[in-house]
This record gives sequence, structure tokens and C-alpha cells, in this order.
Amino acid sequence: MARSNEVNLNECKMVVPLNTWVLISNFKLAYNLLRRPDGTFNRHLAEFLDRKVPANANPVDGVFSFDVLIDRGTSLLSRIYRPATAEEPQLNVAGLEKPVTAEVVPVIIFFHGGSFAHSSANSAIYDTLCRRLVGLCKAVVVSVNYRRAPENRYPCAYDDGWTALKWVNSRPWLQSQKDSKVHIYLAGDSSGGNIVHHVALIAMESGIDVLGNILLNPMFGGQERTESEQRLDGKYFVTLRDRDWYWRAYLPEGEDRDHHACNPFGPNGRSLEGIKFPKSLVVVAGLDLIQDWQLAYVDGLKKAGQEVKLLYMEQATIGFYLLPNNNHFHTVMDEISKFVVSDC
Amino acid sequence: MKRDNNHLQPNPDPSSSLCGGSSPGKANLWEEEATQQDCGMDELLAVLGYKVKTSDMAEVAQKLEQLEEVMCNVQDDGISHLASETVHVNPSDLSTWLESMLSELNPPSFDPFGAAGKTAPMGTLDDPFLGGPAESSTLTTLEFENNNRKHQKRGQQIFEEASCSDYDLKAIPGKAIYSQNTRTQPQTHDSSSSSTLNNVKSEKRLKSTSGSHSDIFPPPPAVSYGIPTDSVRPVVLVDSQENGIRLVHALMACAEAVQQNNLNLAEVLVKQIGFLAISQAGAMRKVATYFAEALARRIYRLYPQNPLDHSLSDILHMHFYETCPYLKFAHFTANQAILEAFEGKKRVHVIDFSMNQGMQWPALMQALALRDGGPPAFRLTGIGPPSHDKSDHLQEVGWKLAQLAEKIHVEFEYRGFVANSLADLDASMLDLRPSEVEAVAVNSVFELHKLLARPGAIDKVFSVVKQMKPEIVTIVEQEANHNGPVFLDRFIESLHYYSTLFDSLEGSVSSRDKVMSEVYLGKQICNVVACEGVDRVERHESLTQWRNRFGFAGFSPVHLGSNAFKQASMLLALFNGGEGYGVEENNGCLMLGWHNRPLITTSAWTPANKTTATSTITN
Repeated sequence: MARSNEVNLNECKMVVPLNTWVLISNFKLAYNLLRRPDGTFNRHLAEFLDRKVPANANPVDGVFSFDVLIDRGTSLLSRIYRPATAEEPQLNVAGLEKPVTAEVVPVIIFFHGGSFAHSSANSAIYDTLCRRLVGLCKAVVVSVNYRRAPENRYPCAYDDGWTALKWVNSRPWLQSQKDSKVHIYLAGDSSGGNIVHHVALIAMESGIDVLGNILLNPMFGGQERTESEQRLDGKYFVTLRDRDWYWRAYLPEGEDRDHHACNPFGPNGRSLEGIKFPKSLVVVAGLDLIQDWQLAYVDGLKKAGQEVKLLYMEQATIGFYLLPNNNHFHTVMDEISKFVVSDC
Repeated sequence: MKRDNNHLQPNPDPSSSLCGGSSPGKANLWEEEATQQDCGMDELLAVLGYKVKTSDMAEVAQKLEQLEEVMCNVQDDGISHLASETVHVNPSDLSTWLESMLSELNPPSFDPFGAAGKTAPMGTLDDPFLGGPAESSTLTTLEFENNNRKHQKRGQQIFEEASCSDYDLKAIPGKAIYSQNTRTQPQTHDSSSSSTLNNVKSEKRLKSTSGSHSDIFPPPPAVSYGIPTDSVRPVVLVDSQENGIRLVHALMACAEAVQQNNLNLAEVLVKQIGFLAISQAGAMRKVATYFAEALARRIYRLYPQNPLDHSLSDILHMHFYETCPYLKFAHFTANQAILEAFEGKKRVHVIDFSMNQGMQWPALMQALALRDGGPPAFRLTGIGPPSHDKSDHLQEVGWKLAQLAEKIHVEFEYRGFVANSLADLDASMLDLRPSEVEAVAVNSVFELHKLLARPGAIDKVFSVVKQMKPEIVTIVEQEANHNGPVFLDRFIESLHYYSTLFDSLEGSVSSRDKVMSEVYLGKQICNVVACEGVDRVERHESLTQWRNRFGFAGFSPVHLGSNAFKQASMLLALFNGGEGYGVEENNGCLMLGWHNRPLITTSAWTPANKTTATSTITN
């Protein structure tokens, strides 16, 4: 067994920069420690190991941030990122929620990844990513600190996402000047990508317009074992075993992976034909073992006549968007910036 | 490939991002590239919270691979103990963290007589410790001795909450300080020398064993990694109500008017605030009221009277202690660090700069009493300000602690020092014993910042502390910068800070406790806003600033680990179900926050030139 692991590690190192390899391998190692075979999760150690950063009302590289308690009952926090304006060097608490001034300001509601169990809005990796998105899209970014599994199963993450969306939609200070409406986009990676889909669905059905969905390596699955899962199992940081663990932790007890949360176009899913649904940008990493499910998702959208653009990054592994040291990163960032402003 | 660089960090050479073939020489290729580059920290990882030198990257990768391999070969149990029993420390320092886990899984041979252990001479435990006479005219000394030398423990259940005649010295349950493994079976203390060498710990300790690792990472320069060191302003908005915002506007405007010395305008505004505050509810109203009062005092130059009578001050402090977890967290985490620093020591001496009612010490004493191999002889020196009513409050506190010590069979000695300022202390006053004989811990909870009001005071205290040759110095401070040179900045900072703090009090069960706590905090607000010069003692500074101060003064950090983190987190669950509170680890320090806004920080230090104090007979 050791021998084939050796091969895996070497292959893995060939396709990512060394510091990326170190970063993701470190996560993999830490996460192995946190998942218990009985399905429980070592939350204290997880919080101890997670590298966090505080919000910062002082602009850094043109972006400032602050946390907002959106729902006291569930302690639902979100971190808001805004572009700093030249004329407001000293921001006080009254100025944080100052109205946006541009004709059109996209508001991106972001759901961090972590397979529903890991990370937070104030995790350093996601704080960094959200800050990038502000500059990239000239947007306000709202990063939702949704409740995590296994302590909080389906549908908590979606409920929190929906609560945050309603909150965003009702902020006068987030309305674009052009039409006094909030221009909402949803974005997320891994489990966050999954949340994007489901929250968009709830939104559209409730009459709140979402202008676009951005799904980065979204987390989907199903009971069947697909070709990519078998071929890539354990090869690039991720194993089927850990994927299964996370679904068991998130889905209601007793449910299998054909539950519609996991497999939205599967046997328990529903067709989106004829439903008004946002345009989608779906990014799939060619070395991600769940790509068959992600591609099936794209197919499901297409078959339902929904607008979707697929970005298939052949040599990309999970987490490539966390560090700006590879071509996939830049390609994807370019596409995101085009996607978000294209309806202006 | 077109790159949009507007928002991105400087990109490294693209060729360095691609890897070579699968030959064994691959590692060398990276090493080569690494040495050609800047030997500093990898910037990209630093932004994400990990400190890895570029030149160490290949080695870190190797460690990760080794761990992966070992973990594959080891049974599931082997890994699970890494998660449940191992104490993790400072995960930002990847190299050291990985190394610790590797040695965990491949332990080196255990050498109980090795150089790492310091054996304290057993000496004669029966020496009476008589206190010396009073020293300088500014200080008086009060002493107590506990003549109980019994070290035998009888029976299992000994340590009920010791209660004294007047009130309970409420303590965090002693067991909270212990991880699950520690055997609670009391052992008879054997005064033969072999007992010191048998400190085989069931708990695995992982630490940065030398100060050098922490020396590698000096405070980051001002413009780096996206986070300027002295100007991070964390803000959490807990109340988005319309009235709340108008109130804040008015407070800001008033403070600005004061800043510009436009006192007529300020006067008008401060009255407006009064009206607005009435219509507001909850924490916002109270905070606004305190800030308005403080502004009024500043405008009308009605500076606060002399410090409150001690008994009232004590009562407020007690209520604050009960209502919310801040003081308990402070005591708990500091005690944990002290306990670990005192491992294996036979005689210990705690010097407490923040004695108050001595609420921190029952828990430590109980933990020491339960220690494997029996408790050390425990000496406590408590320092506090003079009381106005001539009562010997420090004496009373010492007496109560002595009674507790007697109950739990801990040899105890106490001395109280009254001092107007910590800077009045000299090491010679404290009757320090040689460090091989008696290990020293210095403790300061919410006291150090007061020294910043007088030039030179903090430096004097740092120097005196070093003379004490402490194993550890535990510091708890407010996590905020309320000491900037510009009044308006301080006002804004403290408004954010106390709004968050007051919000956390809202969930308190007892409304009387809540009110008292608010009064307690209100005094601080008044001091920050209305006072100046030597009177303004609430000069809170952030962890980054304290790190700089301690670093320049010649101290190295001692890291608090995952065991302290976990137990502190569990402690929080006792308050309002823990909702809203959170513990965060920051490069070996622990922070307690409300809704992700850090509010207080516990850090630990040791003089830099000391060889590793806490002798680690690590397993």
C-alpha cells in the first residue's frame, strides 16, 4: 500500500506548485485528524487549527471589511467586504453601511467551502478570496458564516443562505442607483457551490431575483460510483472515503447520496425546465474526483434550457483558486469578472 | 495568458510554479530554486496564516509526506490519539507542528535522567519560611504562612468547593484544568528524590521546545501580507436599527467637535445624544449613555473623582466576574500556562500584579493539589493598590486563601504588597529565592496597560520582572487599541469595543449582575474618553503592540496549546450556552471574542536569554 501511495504523492506534486501542495496537503492531514470514524467531528481541534483573520474596517489594498450579526437566534454572522473610496480614509461605524454610490454595484453573496464541516467566513483562505472578488468585480461581497455539519445537518446551511439572501436583498444601502434594487450574485466553492444552487432555487421560487450563480468545484455526488471517482480516488488530495463521510455528516440520517441536496438532477431531484433560474458559471477541476457529478450538474442545467457556462480546467486540482500562483487561477478570475459585469 | 493584476499580489516567476519530473532528484530541484529566491517567508502562505520559510518549503513537504506514510501504516488508534490526546501548539508554524506530530508517532527513546530534566533539590521541606521585615516607605507587607506540611491525602473526594466564612472564593472546577487523561487518583507524596524523576506524563506535550523558532518570526513590517500590524480594526455590527445608527452618528459628531475643540457644538450634541439614547433599547442605549456622560465630563472638565472606594470596586469586579466569561477565561488560560510552567517544580512562587480578591488562585491551588506526585509548596505574593478605608483588604484575601490551602493540604505562604503603581516595585522587596529552589510565575490581568500612562513605568516593570527570573509571565489584556495619540480615533475604537462588550452582557441571567458589570465597564469608558495624561490609565493596546513591547524588552513567547483552547471553549458553554462567544488561537496566544470580534487576549512570556524553562520530559 505504501508503494502506491508514493506514486500518488509524486504525481500530485507534479501538477501543483510546491507551496500549493504544502497548503492542501496540510489541510488534508489536519482534516484526517478531525473526522472520527463514528461520524462525529473534533470541532474544538478544528477551530484551534483553522487560521482565522479578524475583520478590518481599515482599508487594505482598497478593501475593508466588517462583520454583521444577521440573525441573533442562530448567531448567523456574515462578513461584508467593500471597496474603499478615496474620500473616506477614516471609517467609523456609521460609515460602514453607507449607501453604495455607483450606478450598478454587484453584490456577491459568497458561501465558503469545507465540505459543509470545515472553515468559516473568517478563515484566512476565504477572507483572502473574498477580498480578491471585491477588486475583481467591483462588487460588495457578503460571506456567510453558515452553520456546519455534523452538528447542523441539511437544511441548516441552505436556511442560513436564504436568511442571508433576504437580509442582503432588504438593505437599502446595497441598492444600485440605477434601479434601486440589489443586484445579487451567488458564489461558492465546494460545499459553498452546492449551497449556491439550492439557495438560488429557493430565491427564484420566492420571487427574489438572482442575477448569476458562480460554482467553483461545487460539491455534488450520488449513490453510483462514477468513472472519475474510481479513477481519481486518493490521487489528488481527496478520497472517496472522505467524500462519503462528509455526505453522511450533512445529509439527514438514514438518507443516501441520491438525496436531492447531494444529487439535484438525480432520481430524487427535479427538473428545472421552465423555471426561471440564474445563469451559471461552473468551474470544474480536471483532477477532482467528483467531476462526473459536476459535469452531470452542468448537463442537467443545459437539458432544462438554463444558461450555463462550463470552465473545465484540465490540470487543476481542488483548491487551485486559493493561491494566485497558477494559470488556472488567472483564467478563472478573468471569467468571473466577465460573468459578473456582463449584464451591466 | 493575460493576467489581471490589479487586485492580486505580486506573482512569482511562472517557471517556478511548475514541477519537474518524477525523479528522486526532484526535491533538490526545488531546494535549488528556493535558495536562489529570497530566504524569507513564503508570502502567499503567510497571507493564509502559515509561516513557512521559502527555503524550508521542501523540508516541510517532506514532513507532510512522511506523516502521510506513517499515518497510513499506523492503526486508526494511532491517528486518533493524535487528535484527542496530543496537545497541539502554534499551528501557524507548520514545520514545528509537523515535526511534533512526527516525533509523537515515532517517539525517541525516553531518558528520564537526561539533560532535559532539571531535578530540584529536595532539601528540607520543614524549613520555616519566615517573611522579612517591611521595606520601603511606600510599601507595607503582610504575610501569612500555612504550617500544614501534610502531604498525605486521605480518601478520594477531598476537594469540594472550599467555602470561607464571608463568601465563596468561587473557582472554576479544578478538573477543568486537566485533560481527560490525567489520573485523578491522589498519590501519597513521597519525599524521596526518586519521585521527581518519575514525572512520566500521560499527556503528550508538543511544544516549540526552543525559543529560536519564535525568534525567526519577528513582528511583520507595516506593509505586508495585507494586514498592517498596528491598524487592524475588527468591527462587528450587532444592531442595525435605524435609531442605533443615528445615535452613533451623534456620538461621532460630538467626539469630532471635542477633537476640534468646538465645545459649544459639542455641548449641543451631547444633549441631543441624551434624547436619542432614551428612545433606544438594550445595549446600545447603555453604551451611548456612558459615552455621552464621558463626553460631557470632558467638555465641562468634570473629571471623575478619585478611584472608587475599595469595597464598591471589589463588588463591581465580582459581578463582572460572575456575569460574563471574560475574567474566568483570563484566569483559566493564565492558570493553565502557569500550571504547565510549574510542572516538576517542588516550590513555586506566583507574583500577582492584579490581586483584587484573589479569585484566580483557588483554581490553581486546587489543580496543584491534584497534581501527580503531590503539590508543590505554593507561595503567593499579591500586589494591589492602597485602600482608602484603612482596611487591610490584601490581608483578608490572603487569609481566605490560607484557609483554602489548609483544607486542600497545600503548603502555603502569602505576602501582600500595597503599591500605588507596579513601577514602585523592586525585585529586592520580594524576597526572591534562587530559581533552582523556587520557580516563579508573574501574573497580570488587565493591569499592565495602566503603566503606559507614565513614561518609563512599563520599562521599569519589564526590567524588574526579568530580575525575578520567572519561568513564565502570564498577561491578559483587552484586545483593542485605546491608546492612540488622536482622541477621535480612541473614541471610535472604544465605541466599537464597548458596544460589542455590552452586547455580550445582554444575555446575562441576572439583571443585577448585568447592571453592576455595566457600571464596572462604564468606569473604564469614562477613563478612556474623559481623562488625559497620568489620569488616563485605561490605555489598552492590541496583541500586536504587546508582542512588540515584550519582544523589545527581551521576552520570548510561550505558546498556549490546544488543550487550553479546548477547555476554555468548554468553559464558555457555561455562559448563555456559549452562543456568540468564541476562542481563537493566534500564534500561541488565545483570544476570547464575541461574534468573531476578539475582546481579550491571554499571552505568556519568558525572558529570552533563559534556556527552556519548562523542562520538557516529553514522551
